[in-house]
Amino acid sequence: MQVSRSSLSLEQAPPISVPFRFFITAPIFGLFAALLLLIYGPEALTNRWAPATLALTHLITLGFLGMIMCGAMMQMLPVLAGSPVPRVKPVATAVHSLLTIGIISLASGFLSGITGLFHLALTTLGLGFLIFIIATSIALIRIRTPNDTIHGMRLAIASLATTVMLGLTIGAGFSGITSLSQLIPLTDIHLGWGILGWVGMLVVGVAYQVVPMFQLTPEYPRKLTGPLNWVLFATLVIWAPLYLAWGNGQLPKWVPDIWILLPITGYILFAGTTLWLQQKRRRRVSDVTLLFWRTGMILIAACLLLWLTSFIPAAKNQPTLPLLLGIWLLFGVAASVTNGMLYKIVPFLAWFHLQNRQVALMSMGKVKVPNMKELMPDRLTKRQLYAHLATLLLLTLALFWPNPLAHIAGLSLGLSCTLLLLNLLQAARRYQQVNQELSDFEASR
Amino acid sequence: MEHKLDVSGLEPPEPMERILQAIEEINAGDYLYVIHRREPRMIYPMLENMGIAWITRPGGPEGYEIFIWRKDDSVASAKIPA
Repeated sequence: MQVSRSSLSLEQAPPISVPFRFFITAPIFGLFAALLLLIYGPEALTNRWAPATLALTHLITLGFLGMIMCGAMMQMLPVLAGSPVPRVKPVATAVHSLLTIGIISLASGFLSGITGLFHLALTTLGLGFLIFIIATSIALIRIRTPNDTIHGMRLAIASLATTVMLGLTIGAGFSGITSLSQLIPLTDIHLGWGILGWVGMLVVGVAYQVVPMFQLTPEYPRKLTGPLNWVLFATLVIWAPLYLAWGNGQLPKWVPDIWILLPITGYILFAGTTLWLQQKRRRRVSDVTLLFWRTGMILIAACLLLWLTSFIPAAKNQPTLPLLLGIWLLFGVAASVTNGMLYKIVPFLAWFHLQNRQVALMSMGKVKVPNMKELMPDRLTKRQLYAHLATLLLLTLALFWPNPLAHIAGLSLGLSCTLLLLNLLQAARRYQQVNQELSDFEASR
Repeated sequence: MEHKLDVSGLEPPEPMERILQAIEEINAGDYLYVIHRREPRMIYPMLENMGIAWITRPGGPEGYEIFIWRKDDSVASAKIPA
């Protein structure tokens, strides 16, 4: 019988400020997106190429999703894989600052059209992501016995590198640094790699660990987890040149459009399996994270149905279709899943750091470490879930009745992000209070 | 004496909370037998800090069995099933 004495070194876990700064910044960018929607209204929701739409999209993808995913990855690598990101404190500071400057300048660049802002955005985002990709790649390469989560993370990072390179190329063309002949296909490929590659593959890989762990479901079947990562990645690798060939007029559009159904089917399989596992969970109590995840999984299926309608001739050229797909993918799937995970990761980390310190100080019985529910109360997270669902519904309806619903969706998004920010700050404040009590206990000894 | 603790149906970090609580109640010569669904790697540094010894074995009714006792307690150590 195998005996395990392996341990996770305390030094490996990054300081709590590393992930928290990313998590707290995310809803602030969400608030910027809400403000933009409130001010620009229908203009931000009627045409995917409108400057306000592009600014809104990047505030959500880079500002909200990107921040949460970068922070979570720096935290999860040591915890889930025992492989810390090297020099995590300076790396986190550099990545967080560069991305923050980059996202603000990119969004303002889109809105103002000032070339200098695009140049600043390209430099800072390029450098920020370069540091993040190198640092996480070192941690990922060091893992000797990778499981399916690690494979998923590796492929997600490769997808992020592709997304960033394409984004920089498009940005350089957009701001006049280089000439760009295939703006539309390159943008779609950038979008495909960002959503189906980076976001999708990281969510899938992390889900293999966190869904059974936090939602008390059975494990994902190995028959699915092993091949799924590779099928998703390989189908995207082939899709990109097919799409470019359509851009060059060498292939009809239906060829890449049919091909992309392969990775989408992979995601449907993942979503179906997750819903099935959630049905079989051991503790059948209502859980906010579970509801966020369920929303995300159902919306994956809805996205497939929507994609299939694009093959119907009458619906083919509807400008609403790609926008609706974007809203459902970004807000319905990606934002729901990441938002839901924050409600497990943040209180868990706060509890873990406090509990560790309490054990080190042997202050049990003297200082009370709050549990998960005390750090992140259900009534607060549930309130934000309702605001998030209302935003999703309003954004969907706003595509059909832009005036006044686009403005109202902005208000709702603002409310949802404010509640998320307050919930995170509340947990951070509680953490600080108890940490101070522990410091006082240490000083009094 | 063996103190049995089944944490397999609990959501993180409750298993860790229950284990840490149960350790405080172990008498000299006793050990804690924990039934878990996963290997609780994150608790190990805390056990180390508390002067607690442990052995984790894959198996048991839920996937993992963890035997926990005080490092300086040779009587408890001798009672751990081989």
